[in-house]
Amino acid sequence: MNRDKNLPLTETVYYILLALLEPAHGYLILQKVEELSAGQVRMAAGTLYGAVENLLKQKFIQPVHSEDSRRKVYVITDGGREILRQDYERMRHMLEMTNTIMG
Amino acid sequence: MKKVKFFTNFDHEEQWLNAMARQGYALVRKSFAYEFAQVQPENSNYRMDYRIFKTRQDFEDYKALFEDSGWTHIAGTKSSGSQYFKQTGEQENEDIFSDVDSKAARYKRISDMWFSLACCFIPLFAVLISTDAIDATAFLEPKLLYYTPGLWDKSGGDFWRAFLFETPFAFFRGFTWLIIPVMIVVYMVFAYKAKKQYQKTQQGR
Repeated sequence: MNRDKNLPLTETVYYILLALLEPAHGYLILQKVEELSAGQVRMAAGTLYGAVENLLKQKFIQPVHSEDSRRKVYVITDGGREILRQDYERMRHMLEMTNTIMG
Repeated sequence: MKKVKFFTNFDHEEQWLNAMARQGYALVRKSFAYEFAQVQPENSNYRMDYRIFKTRQDFEDYKALFEDSGWTHIAGTKSSGSQYFKQTGEQENEDIFSDVDSKAARYKRISDMWFSLACCFIPLFAVLISTDAIDATAFLEPKLLYYTPGLWDKSGGDFWRAFLFETPFAFFRGFTWLIIPVMIVVYMVFAYKAKKQYQKTQQGR
């Protein structure tokens, strides 16, 4: 089976997709990513904006209705869930292998 | 105070705006010129992005994200491209980008803009050539561009007065079309410089 060309996901993309399992607007994504990564990934606004733009283009996330007239809200798509799952499997395999050899 | 200046490097532009703020000039608007308001000298942190938005809603969403993250949008419109931000609080100097790829990508966007602008002028130039609107004789016999009767028979002060008076008109008559190829070249140069800066930034130099 050919591996999806979007794999492996970058650390920031992985956390953004994880954060968007629930709908969120831009700044909320930044906060969630920081929280999920235990403070390791602190994204700046300009970088997040570009990342969201790319994910929309790849159809891994989509805009949803927002109560806030200024802030757009996004959520993960089925395609996004699928790529997230595949990257999870990829990393789990790496961990298992590492554990077998080094553990 | 207004100042006209031109930059091809965002980092230099940011540094210049910070230096102006230290002298007590805070950026308030940017159109063709930079407009500054006189303030108490301050250690500000200005940062720039380059983006053109399809809709007003996209632009508002973009500004809201930056405001939420501690940046005041100072200047820039939906389609101006350059967006100017100033860090709101007195925290340490932060950047609006947290990785080199996104910091470099703004150069890619401005390079693409200059390139497409240059391309817009190419068909116009082609039309001028194909309709023979460009007169090559202007180069070979520039005398023909002067319409003053008997100009070339005059001499001394009379001649120079009439000659110098008509020269600007003769120049426009013969060479106005040159603006178009010159613009194409200038825009191409800007596109190239931005592209170079893009690659340089990407390599983290």
